[in-house]
Order: sequence, then C-alpha cells, then structure tokens
Amino acid sequence: MKRKIFSRFSIILFVIGLMTAIQYNTINEPDDRDTRDVWEIRQELSREKQLHSELLSEVGLLDATLSKYEEISSESPEQALKDTVEELRGLAGLTEMTATGIEMTIEPSAEAVAFGEEIDYIAPDLLIRLVNEINRNNGLYVSVDGNRIVNTTAIRDINGLTTVNAIPIQTPPFKIKIASNSMEDTEKLYNHLLSSRILDDFYIDNLSVEISAPQEQVTIEPYAKELNYRHLQIAEEE
Amino acid sequence: MWLSILGLILGISLGLLTDIQIPPEYANYLSIAVLASLDTLFGGIRAHLQQVYDDKVFVSGFFFNIILAAGLAFLGVHLGVDLYLAAIFAFGVRLFQNIAVIRRIILAKWAEKKQVSETHS
Repeated sequence: MKRKIFSRFSIILFVIGLMTAIQYNTINEPDDRDTRDVWEIRQELSREKQLHSELLSEVGLLDATLSKYEEISSESPEQALKDTVEELRGLAGLTEMTATGIEMTIEPSAEAVAFGEEIDYIAPDLLIRLVNEINRNNGLYVSVDGNRIVNTTAIRDINGLTTVNAIPIQTPPFKIKIASNSMEDTEKLYNHLLSSRILDDFYIDNLSVEISAPQEQVTIEPYAKELNYRHLQIAEEE
Repeated sequence: MWLSILGLILGISLGLLTDIQIPPEYANYLSIAVLASLDTLFGGIRAHLQQVYDDKVFVSGFFFNIILAAGLAFLGVHLGVDLYLAAIFAFGVRLFQNIAVIRRIILAKWAEKKQVSETHS
C-alpha cells in the first residue's frame, strides 16, 4: 500500500518537475536585445530606402515593358516578344555590345621589366577585386581578355592558371574592356578607376594598369559558351 | 520517499535538458497548472499524514484541478476578467493551509517521539 502511494507521488512529482522546468525554460528565454545605436539604425534605414527606390524603378521598368506590349500586341505580338528576348540576351551577356566605354591594359610594370623579372601570372583575387570595383561603379559590360563577365562567371585558379569562365587568360599584357550606358557613367568610372587604390594593388604584383580615356565606341565580346542554369529553378508563385 | 524525489529530479532534468519551450502566451496556463499540481501534491501529503489518503481522490484531484484552473484562466482571457487570479488565490490559500497542517502534524509527531524517548530513558 505504502509503495503504491509513493509510486503515485513519484509520477505526480515527475509531472510537476517537468512542468516547472518547461515554465522555467519559457520564462528564461533570452530575448534578442536590439543593441544597435542610432547610426547603425540610420544605415539600415538607408539600405532599406535604397532597396525601396530600386524596387520602384524596377516596377517602372516593368510597367514600361507592359505598356509596350499592349501597344504592339495589336500589331505584332511576335515582334514584341523577340525584342524582349533580344534585350534579355543582351543583359545576360550573350550578345555583342557596342557602347561608350574604356579599355584597360594590364602589363608588367616598367620596374619589373628593368629588373628582368618575368611576370606571367595575375592573381585571381586581384582580378576579382578589379571586377568588383568596376561593377560597383556603373561598369555594366565587362570582358577580360575577350571573356565576357556574366552573372555566373567564375574567376579562379585552375592548375596554376588564372581563368575566367574556365578559360585561361593570357599572361600580361592583356586587355579589359568596360562599357556602360552613357558617356557620363563612363567618365565617372574612368575617374574613379584613376584614383582607385586598386592600381596600387596591381603595382604590388609588379603589374601596371593603363587606362584609356573614355571612348565613344567600345565593343564587348559576347559570352562564348552556353549559359549553365543547372541549379536554377522556376520560382513558385506566391 | 526517495522514489518521489527521484521522480521530481528526473522530471526537472528531463525538462531542462530537452529545452522544451511553450509559446509565451501559454506560459500563464502552465504557471497555474504548476500551482494546481503543487496544491494537489501538498493536499495528498497532508491526507497521507492524516491517514485519510485515497488513491482515486488524489489522482483525479490532480488532473481535475489542473484542467479546472487552466479552463478558468482560459475563460478569464476570453471574458476580459482576470479569472486566473481566482485560481491563484484559491490554490495559494489552500497551499498555505495544507503546509501549515503538515507542519503541525510533523511537529506533533516529533514532540510525541521526544516524549516517548524521554520516558524510556
């Protein structure tokens, strides 16, 4: 009898202990405190505002496309679709692009040549930095030694050779072509690159960069291979 | 007796180690359930000491009190009246009463034992 009572008590105490522990867990859950100061919040706000304006401009663009469709659809819907496809292919980097731009020539620096050093390598990291720098400053279309930079482009070291799109680039000197939408953008990019610290980074690697003045016509080669969208999936509509 | 304490320790450690959490809006109900179960527990101990312990009353009281308290709290939330205070008050008062009775019984037993040992010596 006594044993039975204690077994009952143990079960009840077990349940009580469990409930108390769960309550303790729930109450003592560490809440994430917002420790950002005003400045960080302002930065966050400005980021969000930028996103907002980007989204708005995208909406405007899509609206324009829509109205174009509506205009043309009565006449020739096929032509409208073809135009769009061509436009998208251009944006994706599958077509040759001629626009205002600049040409950069990367060559061994005069000092290295004077010392008789043989420069036959450019580090992928350096090239990535340069491309990022260009992308950040309105360089819309870029090709490195004839290899078009597209969204899926990888710049990396393969067996000791620096490759772009898995194609080894020449030993320096080689050319980088950059084009953007307007002369104004091109000039901005040119001025930015001239004052950029990236040139010093090249100099450390015994490379010198020569940047041509903005030109009216720079032709950027198309992306040479098939675009690989193995991992792309159609997004589900919400 | 040790079995019961083992059960308590087991329950607490299981709860802490598994890190189970319930949504904060239900924390109220759980706290009342804990109170109700504590009330039942001390009631059971008191009944045991007074030799009126009944298995059915104890176990049914445990679950019934928990459900009643949680139900009262639930009703209170929906009526906009803090009915859970009633449950807290009732259980709190009973908890103190039960503990007081347990204390008296244990004190009485202790005094009795002391007297018995004194008369023997």
